[in-house]
Amino acid sequence: MRKLLMGMLAVALVGVLPARAADDAAIKEKAAVCAGCHGESGISQTENIPSLAGQPDQYIQWQLVFFRAGSRKNEQMQPIVEGLSNEDIRSLGAYFAALTPPKAPPQDDNPDLSKKGAQAAVGRRCASCHTDSFAGTKAVARIADQREEYLVKALHDYKSSKRVGGGQAVMADVAYPLSDEEIEALAHYLAHL
Amino acid sequence: MKPAFHHTILALAAVGLIAGAGLAKAQQKQDQSRALKHYESGTKEFWTHPPDDWFLGDETEQQKGLAPPSGPPTGASDAELAALVKKIKLPPGFKIEVWAPGVLAARQMAWGDKGTLFVGSFGLGNVYAIKDNGGKREVKTILKGLNMPTGLAFKNGALYVIAVDKLIKYDNAEANLDNLGEGKVVYDDMPSYAAHGWKYIAVDKDGWFYIPFGPPFNVGIPPTSVSQIRRVDPQTGNAETWALGVRNSVGGDVDPRSGKYWFTENARDWISDDLPSDKLNMIQKIGEHFGYPYCHQGDLPDPKFAMGHKCSEFAPPVLNLGAHVAPLGMKFYTGDQFPAEYKNNILIAEHGSWNRHKYQGGRIVRVIVGPDGKNPKQEVFASGWIEGDQGYLGRPDDIILAKDGSILVADDWAGAIYRISYSK
Repeated sequence: MRKLLMGMLAVALVGVLPARAADDAAIKEKAAVCAGCHGESGISQTENIPSLAGQPDQYIQWQLVFFRAGSRKNEQMQPIVEGLSNEDIRSLGAYFAALTPPKAPPQDDNPDLSKKGAQAAVGRRCASCHTDSFAGTKAVARIADQREEYLVKALHDYKSSKRVGGGQAVMADVAYPLSDEEIEALAHYLAHL
Repeated sequence: MKPAFHHTILALAAVGLIAGAGLAKAQQKQDQSRALKHYESGTKEFWTHPPDDWFLGDETEQQKGLAPPSGPPTGASDAELAALVKKIKLPPGFKIEVWAPGVLAARQMAWGDKGTLFVGSFGLGNVYAIKDNGGKREVKTILKGLNMPTGLAFKNGALYVIAVDKLIKYDNAEANLDNLGEGKVVYDDMPSYAAHGWKYIAVDKDGWFYIPFGPPFNVGIPPTSVSQIRRVDPQTGNAETWALGVRNSVGGDVDPRSGKYWFTENARDWISDDLPSDKLNMIQKIGEHFGYPYCHQGDLPDPKFAMGHKCSEFAPPVLNLGAHVAPLGMKFYTGDQFPAEYKNNILIAEHGSWNRHKYQGGRIVRVIVGPDGKNPKQEVFASGWIEGDQGYLGRPDDIILAKDGSILVADDWAGAIYRISYSK
């Protein structure tokens, strides 16, 4: 796959393909770096690493901009993102947004927990921003069928103010009063939609 | 087996949805009959974590979905900016151009003595320095990772940045753009609320800074130490409270005629599309109360938080600017380039609505008013940043005069600085 991409890139560079295809190949090459952790086609197989497939374009872009500015801190991400141009960031946003989102595991091993999570999601008004299907929109993340342990991690990061989540700091405020049980239930519910 | 299982899941999901709808209704009912908020402000926790209901929780079902929109994370591209400035409407003789692109989340601007333009930013945490290298502007990120450094000032060679609860001084800034160092905190008697904790700085003739303190929510009984404007001496850290009853102010300027401080104020949300109006205020005398949360726009007692107060008790606005227009940075026009009738007029950058079904603001207005604040008149100076009902091409948020009498306008949505100039 990688060889093929390199080949495509080389072809594109010598100008045989039209410019658009060259852009596509270049961005796939950049996205190939992401695949190491975030998985082929943006579906993560790695613990604590989120799937990116089907995330809203703007959400991806914002996170990259936050990593680049250092306002979202992550040792793995920082060196990778430092060299990205605004143009790269836009292309990566479009690329991941166009991939097919992850699917829920075939069965819910704890429907009771999901039920609790569903109630917590209503009480905490998650759908107000993340939309009724939890697919997210614009700068707001897709949380539907995200990896369960990553959702737990993200909510804890917000709760402890390790992550603020953009200028409005809404997530920090929402997550702060969540109990560990609520976080577990929410994550389980959202990972099994 | 498998299909049966799927049925179970579907059934469970359906039950969940119905339960969800019921809960949502109950929540709404609870919202409507909610009593006055009560906050335990005596604990440290209160100061580190503002009330979690400041943002969500006040909207009616009809208003659901209104939320601050999020702009393009990487700003507008050069091509988009070129197309954008063509759409901006100005009075005859005025011209707008892009002065510097790639200034992501640009907020307050301040000039250095040697011609460097310093620019703060919102959630990105950056502070920029822009050098004019013979017409070609070079944008450099000189500070990173600050907590919403929206406000800044330049005084006696030093750059001052205000990042929510810290006023930081960077000495000899223009000579050290490549390495400003850690800076020195010169004033920190400020709460750490993120919500409405972003600030603005206006310098007066004594070198003291007017600094606004917003409450960490939409509407409520403000915790002590916020909903006010202080005047702070950056030399000593001494501070005075100049105004009370102020909601979210992120712009102001000292009147060159009287020395008095004028400021813009964003009124509460979630009453309706057309109420209440945002304001332009002037502090006539120290310690005036401008009404929040008891009274809005000079004549509208808050439906819940009036609590026995009458609007007549408070300092009225100089001018109601309109509902949800979001006035931010403002400047008295003291230059000589614009036509003579602009002298000492106030130019206000309106960031534009989010809490309104049809956005308004997103423009620059001109206010013609004497030093006494009587008989103000406002007109639209520059517009065209809003497209359709809820679309932004850009959002002006600050204004500064350039040496030649033109003005620069910061836009945190398009991530750019514009220049507006006049010639006959």
